[in-house]
Order: sequence, then C-alpha cells, then structure tokens
Amino acid sequence: MAPESDVATEAVGLRTHPLTSVVQGALWAAAASVGLIGSIFTGDGWGDMSAVLSLVISLVGGLLLGMGFGFLTWLFTRYVIDGSELRINSGIVTKASRRIPYERLQSVDIAEPLVARIFGLAELRIEMAGGKDSRTSLRFLRLADARDLRRVLLARAHGTAPDESPVAEQRTIITVVPPERIVIGTVLSLDFLFAAAGSIALIVGAIWFGQLVVALGGIIPLGTWLAQIIAKRILQQWEFALSRGHGGLRIERGLLSRTSQTIPYARVQGIAIKEPFVWRRLGWLRLEVDVAGYAAHGNDEGVASSSILLPIADRTLAESVIAELIPGFDVDVPRTAAPRRSRPFAPIGWRYRWVGANERTFVAREGWIERTTSIVPHHKTQSVELRQGPLQRRRRLATVEVHTPQGPVDADGRNLDADEARGVVLAQLARARAARS
Amino acid sequence: MDDLFTPPSGDWQRVSPKLATIRRILILIPSSVLVIAGVLLSLLLADFQWIGGLLSVLALGGAVWGWLWAGRNQRSWGYAENADDLLVTRGVMFKRLVAIPYGRMQFVDVEAGPLARAYGVATVTLHTASPETAADIPGLPAAEATRLRNRLTELGEAHGAGV
Repeated sequence: MAPESDVATEAVGLRTHPLTSVVQGALWAAAASVGLIGSIFTGDGWGDMSAVLSLVISLVGGLLLGMGFGFLTWLFTRYVIDGSELRINSGIVTKASRRIPYERLQSVDIAEPLVARIFGLAELRIEMAGGKDSRTSLRFLRLADARDLRRVLLARAHGTAPDESPVAEQRTIITVVPPERIVIGTVLSLDFLFAAAGSIALIVGAIWFGQLVVALGGIIPLGTWLAQIIAKRILQQWEFALSRGHGGLRIERGLLSRTSQTIPYARVQGIAIKEPFVWRRLGWLRLEVDVAGYAAHGNDEGVASSSILLPIADRTLAESVIAELIPGFDVDVPRTAAPRRSRPFAPIGWRYRWVGANERTFVAREGWIERTTSIVPHHKTQSVELRQGPLQRRRRLATVEVHTPQGPVDADGRNLDADEARGVVLAQLARARAARS
Repeated sequence: MDDLFTPPSGDWQRVSPKLATIRRILILIPSSVLVIAGVLLSLLLADFQWIGGLLSVLALGGAVWGWLWAGRNQRSWGYAENADDLLVTRGVMFKRLVAIPYGRMQFVDVEAGPLARAYGVATVTLHTASPETAADIPGLPAAEATRLRNRLTELGEAHGAGV
C-alpha cells in the first residue's frame, strides 16, 4: 500500500479547480486593503502617497501576489482517493503528503467564502480527532464536486462503499430559522442594545457639544463592536437551516459566506442552553454544542466551524433537537440547589444555581442575566472534580465540576453544600460507570 | 470536615517526602542568593542599609514559609486506584479531589526533571479529552511511577470507551 517514499511526488491524482489562484488572489487583495483602510482611518497611510493611490497599489499588488502564489500552490497540489485513505500532496519547495485514513475522519465541512462563492467554488474541510493540526482543507473545488467528495468521504467513514449509498442524500429539514427572527433576536440582545445606545449617545453628545474629534475616539471602538455583533449574529447565521441525515445533523448558514457543517450524533459531548436576559421573557433561547475537535480551532476564520446548534429557537423546537442528540434528556431532574449561605459568593446568582441528574444526563444551571443550562450525557463524562477554598470551607460549601472536552459547555455546580457536593461527585461517578458498561 | 476529601473506599496512597525536599531545595537556592545579596548590599552601601536589611528579612521569611509550605503540601497529595476510577487529591488551603474513570484516559505522561531524577522521583500525568482534567501526581518513586503508568495504560485499554 505504501509507496517507496512517504513524500514522493505523485504525478497522479486530481487537481483542485484552476480558478483557485484567482480566488486566492482576491482573498489576498481583500486582506491587504482591509489592513490599509484601517491604517488610513487612524491617519498613518503610506507616507506622502494619497490614500486612493495606496489603496489601488495594495489591491493590485495583493491580487497579483496572491494569484501567483495561488497558481503555484494549485500546480503542486493533487489529491487521491483510494480504497483506504485520502491522500493530499502539496508544497512547492517543501513537499508534504498527508494521508487521511477514512476511519479516523471525524467530520467533513464545506465552506464557501464570499469570493469563492462568486466563482461557484467551495473549500472542503476535513477534521480528524487530535491537536491543533488536525484540520486539512482542500481549496478550492467546484461546489458540486465538493459535495460529491464529502458524500463519498462520509460514506467511507461510516464503513459503506460510496456506490451503495444513494446518489442524492436523504435529508429532512428540521427547521429553517427565518432571517427576520435572527435580526429581531440580535436587536433584543443586551450587548447589541448597549453598543447601539452607546453609539447613539456619543453621536448626539458630539453634535450637541460640537466636539466631533473627541467623540470619534469612542465611536470607532463602539462601532467596531457593533459591526462584529452584526457580522457574527446576523450575517453568519443568515438562513440557518438545520436538517437531519443519516449519521448526523447538518447545519447550513451564512449570507455572504456560506458554511455547511455536519454534527455526527456520536460526537456530541454536551449541549448548553443559553437564555439571554431579554429573550427569556419571550421564551427564546440559543443552543450551543460541544463537539470534540471543533473548539480547538477557535473562530479565527469567521466562517470556521462554529459551535452554534440553533441561533434562536423556542422551547419546543429546542427540546426536540436536544432529544434527538441526547436521548433521555429532561430538565426536570432531582436538583441540588446552592444553599442560602453561598450568598456572599454570588449575591443574586445563588438563587439560580443548581445541579441535577437523571439516569441519562447531568444538568447544571446558573446565571441570572444570561441563564445557562449545561447538559452532559453520563457516558461522555471525562472526569469529575470536587474542590474547596478556605472561604468556602468556613461556610461549609464546595464546588463540583463535570469535565467535558473544550467547548461552550461548562457543567459546574459552584458553592453547593459541601456534603451534598461530595454526594453529587460520588453519584456522578457511579452513573458514568453505569452508562459506560 | 476532613472526611469531605477522603476516598470513597480504601486510603490515600501518599507521595514520597522527597517531593518536599526537592521543593525546599528549589526554594532555598533563590532565597539564599537574595539573603546574601541583601547582606552584601547593607555592608557595601552604608546609606542604603535598610534596603539590604529589608531584602534579607523578606527572603528569609519567604524561605521559612516555603519550607513549611513544602512539607504541608507534600503531605496533602494523595491518590487512590479504585476499581473503575483513579482519584487524586491535593491542596491544604485550596483542596481538590479529581476522579477520572480509567476508560476516559487518552494518554499518560511520566516526567522527571534533573533534580527529581537525582532523588529518584517522577511526575505521572493522566490526560483525558478535557483540558480541565488536572490529574498529575508529582513525587512518585521511579519504580512506582512506572508501575502506575503501566497499570493505567492497561486499565485504560481494558475500559476504553473512545472519546
């Protein structure tokens, strides 16, 4: 199976789409000009050169450099799909060959950054379990090819030959979140309200006192924050569609850049229900999910795999989605609440803190501004911790933590009664043991 | 109150007192350097005697505190191998007890620095898929560290449950 050398350049295999270099160039040009616009606003620019000229130079320069680099990368990148693995050979000077055995494959996502989308291209992201370098991406392919390749890879990962599975994937839509709902939800979130009110107050104040320059120092950070909120909560979650296929849930979202990701049922490590302050009164909530391997990459690329399972939903829908991912889940479990003497540690929040468990899941609730309910299935419990500091000891309190892989889920019960906390830890160990066997 | 951090069954296995010795050495070296520097300073610069004196007193105080801390902290460490989980406890003021089911183990590390090697002890760390799991046991005699690593690996394979 293995050829003579691990990094031998194979002249076989498929190439990515030839327009890759153009897309790469456009991405570089965009990056270069974004950086420059930032520095023009702060008044640096390029010495004596006029702002427009320097912008044009950076755009053209970025485009040409990016296209050149993109062309060379494209020329030297080939991928091979064979019976047992996907092989990607790349590198201009330093040759690299990466092998991805199908059974190690955790998930395959498709991302369409805006520029690539204009050309009808997409990037294929392949996740394997492991550290930082566990993501491989293949850019750029025709969207239809990317979808085909994903179908083949996922089918192989599940141990079936690709030709046995139907040509078109069988998918049932669970829900499509209407864009206006996402907009209303964002407008009604506290940080948006704060950023918007702050910006308006600053502008009004600046006009009132005629001190535009002074106010600019406050408007720029507030405006950037506002833009980030809009980009993250509205543009990225636009036309959010959740559907069900064999092996997992599929999420498709985005207005400018589209992302399509798959969450296999078996890889869900925990779910967090988040109910922000205003939303709670309207019965809305947000679902976030812990999937091993996802959080390690962070959200640096904007369109990267995100941990949001449902950006906004009502309780019935959310419960049906959770029930699908974690069967046997129930919020009405026997609870252990934080006692009144934990008040000095959380003057208001102590009332909303409790942990509980039924035979399938561990549930922890906390927060009074944004209420968070963390759900961890017993068979995913990584470890359990009991801890106590000197102040907690004086008040006979202790903290319980149920550890999950990195992600938004944080199932902690802080400042519980010490003896009850110990009981929770021991009971959780017994439940986790029972769930594994 | 102490029964809060007792293992559910059996007793804690304690770590080697050599851990305290190693930590005392690591504390004494910088603090003695500081004490000497303080004494020299007060001898050489007559105008700034008080700075040198203060430095020496602080370093001496730090050394005494560190000496006592090392002993107390070493005595607080303990681990227990139960039928299904490894339990680790530590801390005097901030107490912790971590329980890790064997099947959750991803890999085991054994580490020993030059000083630890000279005293024949090592640190065993058990890693799970969660970065929050803090399951390191320092100050294990080398033979015990090897035995524990082999046993944990074996148990991890026997109970293995994937991620």
